[in-house]
Amino acid sequence: MASIDIANIKKSYGTHPVLHDVDLKISDGEFVVLVGPSGCGKSTLLRMIAGLESVTGGEIRIAGRRVNDLAPKDRDIAMVFQSYALYPHMSVAKNMSYSLRLRKTAKDRIATVVAGAAAKLGLDPLLERRPRALSGGQRQRVAMGRAIVRQPKAFLFDEPLSNLDARLREQMRAEIKKLHKDLGATSIYVTHDQIEAMTLADRIVAMNGGVVQQVGSPLDLYDRPANLFVAGFIGSPGMNFFEGNYQAGEVQRFEMEDGNSIPLDAPPLSNNARVTLGIRPEHVVLAGHGPETLLATVDLVEPTGFGIILHLSLGGASFKAFTNDRSFLTASGTIPVRFPAHYLHFFDAEGRRV
Amino acid sequence: MAYAARHEGLPAIRPPLMKRIADASAPYLYTAPALILIVTVMLVPLVLGISYAFRDIQLLNPFSGGFVGLDHFRALAQDQAFFRSLRNTLWWTGASVFLQFAFGLILALLLDKPFHGRAVAQALVFLPWAVPSFLAGLNWAWLFNPVVGPLPHWLFAMGIMSQPTNILSDPQLAMWGPIVANIWWGIPFFAITLLAALQAIPRDLYEAASIDGAGPLQRFLSITLPFLAPTIAITILLRTVWISNFADLIIVMTNGGPADRTQIVASYIFTQAFKRLDFGYASAIALVLLALLLAYSLLIVILRQWLLSKD
Repeated sequence: MASIDIANIKKSYGTHPVLHDVDLKISDGEFVVLVGPSGCGKSTLLRMIAGLESVTGGEIRIAGRRVNDLAPKDRDIAMVFQSYALYPHMSVAKNMSYSLRLRKTAKDRIATVVAGAAAKLGLDPLLERRPRALSGGQRQRVAMGRAIVRQPKAFLFDEPLSNLDARLREQMRAEIKKLHKDLGATSIYVTHDQIEAMTLADRIVAMNGGVVQQVGSPLDLYDRPANLFVAGFIGSPGMNFFEGNYQAGEVQRFEMEDGNSIPLDAPPLSNNARVTLGIRPEHVVLAGHGPETLLATVDLVEPTGFGIILHLSLGGASFKAFTNDRSFLTASGTIPVRFPAHYLHFFDAEGRRV
Repeated sequence: MAYAARHEGLPAIRPPLMKRIADASAPYLYTAPALILIVTVMLVPLVLGISYAFRDIQLLNPFSGGFVGLDHFRALAQDQAFFRSLRNTLWWTGASVFLQFAFGLILALLLDKPFHGRAVAQALVFLPWAVPSFLAGLNWAWLFNPVVGPLPHWLFAMGIMSQPTNILSDPQLAMWGPIVANIWWGIPFFAITLLAALQAIPRDLYEAASIDGAGPLQRFLSITLPFLAPTIAITILLRTVWISNFADLIIVMTNGGPADRTQIVASYIFTQAFKRLDFGYASAIALVLLALLLAYSLLIVILRQWLLSKD
């Protein structure tokens, strides 16, 4: 187990930069999730930590030791690949013990370690099978087993659940979390799925365009997104955004483009500043009367079983609201909506949170 | 569908005789053109050739053509020249296939790594394969000739040869001439097929192995080789059969000489058939070679099945 320090890491392919000055300190035993849309550089960063990509600039330290120029095999890390990358010509047991055999570990020790990992992952009856005779979930487990037997300084996961169907993904997600609890190993996990990020992480690193957007606990990112990107990326269904102007005065108001306005209790902004207002669908209140209430048109009703997603529009702007109240299944025409002031997020013209 | 559904409850009506005959013969009629083609181009010459082995067929003897039973094979059993050519065939085939494979594999491994101008290099590597074997033989014969070719002088300058002579006329070394030409000519086949197999190996396996602690040699042994094994087995099988039958280079470069030192079975057959015009005896030798190669192929096919079933 070890800490991992990433300082001013840069990466470019030729003249094309893909990572800009990434700084990240991962402490011993922490589970950090790198999340972002495809092409944001999260996988590249992980592969640089693994030693599969060269470092253009900056420094990576594992357990205090600079590893920039160290071969992957000398970094003492284990990695789980999206494709699992199991050796197809080796049995499950051979797959799991490959790294130990390379290190010339004693035979009986290998047997104990592999048996231990197999028991932990429920792979006992499959040890003599070849990967192609296994289901996707079983292959995933073997890939994890291969990582566990090493007892490495850190685990790296590169979108390990992307090739599984939704139900299995949910199950494996829970198993990974449980495994991390048991082993307490430093883990870095790359995913584009914000649900995986939210459920697994001690800390989330949200990335976009090769730049770290925000680092924090899952609820930090959910409740206090640092910018428009994080606000829109985290959460499903995503946050609603409204463009408009802030009006100071006796009663602070947010004026939407179509003339609707909401009285609010906003942070200090300059008068008439252009801002983006954000509110999560589950925070939209679907009732009320009085000056704060607006009338929204119902465009579409999506029942999810767990709740109902209402697609609404307000003047030209469309937005979503989430409710557990089944009486909205038959909603149509216009309904009153309210945006409670303490649930509103504001972002300035550059997209930063204010 | 509606029609069929309405008649579901009724007993099946037996179709008329002509219809039944047409239905039964349809598959044969469809395959007939291909079968007739295969029989006429492949089987007829084969059967004819085999029948020659049991007949006395000499072009210069108008009274030949009678059935002689196993006479040719009895003569063959006593023929020292045949046994020498059999040994030469082993030597020629073994050295050619092994070195073609070794250089082909090295070339494939080099071409598998990305570098500047790889596409051009890949195209160039394929070039020898496109040269007609006859031209390749002539070209190499000239290269080994000290009067017009540089090779003897280079070998002499490097101290490998005591004087710049033509190795094709040296009974001890003559076989190396066609072998070298054959290696040059046959490397592309191995390089291209092995390269295709190499590029089919998923890259992340190498990445996983390097994280697992494998160095370049261990990665080669535990990933590259197992993945290449089926391809290696089948290409070596093919090349062995081709090369042991491949007399072009020898005929052009040495014509079996000096003193029959480069005579292989295939060139011996050629000599018997087209120099001595004894087609019957030549066919008998060819039949023996066919039997040997069939036995060999069977062995390799079994080996390959075993390799694949291990997976």
